[in-house]
Order: sequence, then C-alpha cells, then structure tokens
Amino acid sequence: MNPGVLRMLLRPAPGSAATVVIPATAFAIVTALVLTVVGGAQSFWAWDDEYAMIYRVLAAVALVLLVIPLASLGGAAARLSARRRDERLSTLRLLGATPASVGALTVIESTLIAAAGALAGVIGHLLLSPLVGLIPFRGAALGATAVLLPPVMIAAIAAGALLLAAVSAVLGLRRVVVSPLGVRMRAQASGAHWLRAVLAVLALAGTFVLAQLVPSLAATVSIAALLATLFGGALALLNLVGPWALKVASRRQAKTARTAVRLLAARTVLDDPKAAWRQVGGIAMASFMAVFAGTGVSVVNAGSASNLSSADTQLVIDLRTGLIITLVASFLMVGASVGITQASDVLDQRGLHRSLHHLGMPMETVDAARRRAIMSPLLVTALGSAVCAGIVVFPLLGISLIIAPLSLLTIAAVLASGILLVWLSTLATRPLLRPAFTTA
Amino acid sequence: MIDSVLSARTLTKSYGATRALAGVDVEVRRGESLAIMGASGSGKTTLLHVLAGIVSPDAGTVSFHPAAGAPVDVTGLGEAARSRLRRERFGFVFQQGLLIPELTAIENVALSLMLNGMKRAAALTHAAGWLQSLGLAGMEERRIGELSGGQAQRVAIARAQVTGAELIFADEPTGALDSHTSSEVMDALLWSTAGQGRTLVVVTHDPQVAARCSRTLSMRDGSIVSEVQA
Repeated sequence: MNPGVLRMLLRPAPGSAATVVIPATAFAIVTALVLTVVGGAQSFWAWDDEYAMIYRVLAAVALVLLVIPLASLGGAAARLSARRRDERLSTLRLLGATPASVGALTVIESTLIAAAGALAGVIGHLLLSPLVGLIPFRGAALGATAVLLPPVMIAAIAAGALLLAAVSAVLGLRRVVVSPLGVRMRAQASGAHWLRAVLAVLALAGTFVLAQLVPSLAATVSIAALLATLFGGALALLNLVGPWALKVASRRQAKTARTAVRLLAARTVLDDPKAAWRQVGGIAMASFMAVFAGTGVSVVNAGSASNLSSADTQLVIDLRTGLIITLVASFLMVGASVGITQASDVLDQRGLHRSLHHLGMPMETVDAARRRAIMSPLLVTALGSAVCAGIVVFPLLGISLIIAPLSLLTIAAVLASGILLVWLSTLATRPLLRPAFTTA
Repeated sequence: MIDSVLSARTLTKSYGATRALAGVDVEVRRGESLAIMGASGSGKTTLLHVLAGIVSPDAGTVSFHPAAGAPVDVTGLGEAARSRLRRERFGFVFQQGLLIPELTAIENVALSLMLNGMKRAAALTHAAGWLQSLGLAGMEERRIGELSGGQAQRVAIARAQVTGAELIFADEPTGALDSHTSSEVMDALLWSTAGQGRTLVVVTHDPQVAARCSRTLSMRDGSIVSEVQA
C-alpha cells in the first residue's frame, strides 16, 4: 500500500479519539495486571525451605485461576480494537482495496495501539510494584524488588500483548474481507446449547464423588494435585454451563418482563449469552473459589489451631491472604473487562441511542437497561457458582459456618465488594452515553 | 381559517458560521401529508428537528395544537418535557428504521407503549394489531436482522403509530430502499397517517415521494422558496 495512503488511514479522525484511547487503555490494564500478577507469583520462588513447594503450588493455582478473567480481559481489549475498525475497513474493501492492503493496515494499526497500551502498562507495573511489595507473606512484606519482574520477562509479556493484538486483528479481519457488507448485520442471536447443562450435571456429580474420596486417596496422591484437578474440572464445568444458564435465565426474564428496562436488559443478554458470559465469567471463578477455598481455610484454621506449628499457622494465614488477593485481582480484571466492553458498546450504539432520544426515550431507561444486562448475569453467575462450590464442599461448608463464621463473612464481604466494583465500572461509562441524549 | 396542528414562526438556527434556518414560517395543517424537499444542506432536516422539539431554535417559536387540550409551546419546554412530548404525542420514522436489534419486531413496537406505562400484555396486543394492519402478520417474533429493509421500515412505521400519535415525522423514510419497496413503504406510511386522519411531515430529496404528499415545501439555504399544493 502507498505509504501516504497508509499514513492517512492510520491517522485518527477528529472526534474519534475514543477509538484509539479505549483499546489502548484496555491493553494498558491487561499488561499492568499480567506483569503484576506474574511479579507477585515470582516472589514465591525466592524461598527454598520445606514450605517453599506448597507456596509455589498455591501460587500456581492462583495463576491458573486468574488466567480465565485475564483471558477475558485480554480478549475484550483485542475484540474492541478489532471491532472499532470494522466499519472503516469494510468501506475500504468496498472501495476496492485488496485483502492484503486491508490486512496490513489492520495489523499495523492494532499493533501500534497495543504497543502504546503495553508501554503504559509497563509503567503501571513499575508504579504498582512498591504497593504489591507491602503485602505480607510468611510474616514479612514481600518487598518491591521481589515482585518487580526482570526486564527480559517484562519485554516478553509486552510482546505477548502485541502478538495477541495482531492475531485478534487478523482473525477479526476475515469477516471484513469475506463479507464487507455483512459485518454490521446481526441476523441471528448467538445460542448456547442445552447439552452444556447435561455435561455440566455429569461433571458436577463426578466432582462431588471425587471430593468425597479425597481423604482415602490422600495417602497415595498429592492433595494439592487432586485439589487442582477438582478445581480445574469445576472451572471447566462453570464455563460449560455458564452461557446456557444465562440463556435460560434471560429467556425467562424476557418472557415475563413487565417494564421496558427489564425487557431490554433480558433481550440484550439473550442476543449473545456467550458474550454476556465472557464479561462476567471471571466472577464465576472468583465466587467458586471464595466458597471452595474459603471453606477449606476456615475449617483448617478453626479446627486445628491449637495443634499447628507456628509455620503451619502462618501457612493458613497466608492461604487466606492469597485467597483474598486472588479474589481482588479477579474482580479488578472483571471490572476492567466490563468497563471496556461497556464503553465500546456505548460508542458503537451512539446512532441507535440518538434515534431513541429522538423518539423521546429517557437516557435513564437506556442506562438502566444496559447496566441491568450486566448486573443480572453477574448475580446469576456469582450465586450459581457459589452454589456449585457449596455442593462440592457440602459437609465442610456447614461445619465452617458453625465454627468459623467470621472467616466466611470476610470472604463474603470481599465478594460483595467485588460485585460493587463491577457495578461502579458500569456507572463509570454512563458519561459516554450522555452526548447521544443531548440536543443542540 | 386554517386548522393547524403545528405552527412555526420566524425560526432561525445556526451551527457555527453555517445558517441552517433563516427565519422560517410553517403551518402544518391537521390531517395533511406535508413533504419538505431540498438539496443536501438546505436545512430541511434541521427544520424537521426543530418542529419536532428535538433541536431548540436560536430564535422563533413552535406551537403544537393537539386535537384535544390546550396548545403546547414546544420551544418553551425543557429537555425532559420535550422528550415526553415526543414520546407521548409524536411519532418518528427514520431513514434506516433504527430499531433495537436485540428486540423482536413486536417488542420494538410494544416498547413505546411500555415506556408510556402500558402493561406488557396490552402493549403486545396493540403492537400485534399494527403489525398485522401493515402486512407483517406472522413476523412478530422475528428479530430486526431477519427482516428485509422494507419490512423493517414498516415495523418502524408501526412503532411510530402505536401510541396514537396525531403527528408523525419521517426523515428520508425511503432513502435506503429500492424504488419498488420505497413505493410500498410510502403506501403504508400514507395509509397509516393521513389515511387515518393523522398528520405526516416527511423530509425527502426524492420527488416521487414528495409527489405522493398533499403539499410540498421546497427549501434552499435555510429558507422556504416554494410551496406546491397537490
């Protein structure tokens, strides 16, 4: 492509700064969070005593748990970056640009935006490290230097963000190249098959049986490995059943909605339950983990406090600290993911919102509907996951409620705060809605 | 004496240095179909937006005279009151329908009634009646993406009519359609408005659309330059 044309097309149009700023911000948040999470985990590798392996296994489990909300956030950033170009690229194709030209433009633009975001993310990591270093493990603060990643690692993670942007751009590009006119059509609602529910029930039953066998198998199999298997299975189960559960719940809500707000919210979820799940799926993991691990930690802490050595007591305290950190990180990622996706959706739907304003629809109605479309699946997801975890650890949950209610209340408070954080992130995107509902 | 549903006096509106309306006077007669024609940039869409209370003029007045009740000074109303007026008393049809893609056809139509406080079941019954009368029976549960351009535009017409609005504004309602579908949509629009004793104000650049209306105003440089009675 002619370099002059390329430069002209890459230049953001006046008033369209958001098309660059929002995806760049998304990549900045993704990069900063990945660097910080990995940095925190690496500090556990500095120890080499008899407890070191336990801490490493637990750090690895926490990383695995954060992979899903992080992937969701990264995916949101990449999709946002790609989707905001669709219309312009479709026009280019219709004007006769070759697929190669459109491809080059797409990859260059996405990578440049991601690079700007990744750079900001690295700065964010450098600023966050002293704060993360204050978190105490094994009776002492981790320290900023322990959580700060080496330059090679930082460069590798930043490069990963750029690769994610480029790959997503190429994948998203296929639709534009194949069907430029079809890009903006949404003829069919995305589905979620009932078979997911059947598989989920079978998996849940299997997990329950396995959980009951843990004590007898513990002698021969590492409990940590078994717990990781149980955890992985349960998380896969949640991902399997999540979109289907949201579809069923929102279909029922759409049929019984008595107000315009409820109808709009339910139909928004039903339009694409998988997308709704992608936004709030990270909460499923956090909620599941809160009940599952929170119960375990509470029981161990309360039931055997007098018999534990000081190092074991410290391990239990650190387990709870780690659990809360993982929960907080999960909610931060989900909050960021929801904020980014909502900002993008509001900008994409500005034309529709303006027409609704012309019809006399109050902004409050549209705002309440879009926020309900997030919060309703979020609550279904959080409560559903908590119930699933409760089934898996059924007898222990009852015991811990009796012997360590305060510990469980702390976890519940963190969960509630996380839900509040997501609610606030939907509130933060409200100002973007206002221009469409303001008349000259 | 002319029975006006809408009266506008000396409307002016500028966007920066561009003068969109330069002292326009308009009387919209009850039950007529009025076309506003003009080239791009002539001020016709701005005039429609000012008449409908979407945009406030820099100067001048717009008065709405409902069939029952006291006249309403549209230009004297605040933002919220104008929104309510549009929602409850006016209907709108846009160039590309601009329907809500997540909702079905019947829900798009019923939504206007639900916003005005009508119960869902009653709103759906009313909406179904309008869809049927516009030739869309059997398509109630289709999503907007599953409808053709002409069908979607007829859903938009049903949405504009379902609240019982006595004044309908249409902005290039056939602009995105082929000539055959355009003719069908105009049939539906005229039947459901002027054909039912309601009033239609339509902005268009298409002489064939204007020719179907009972009166045509032509605009140039923010002023009305001619008036033709059919």
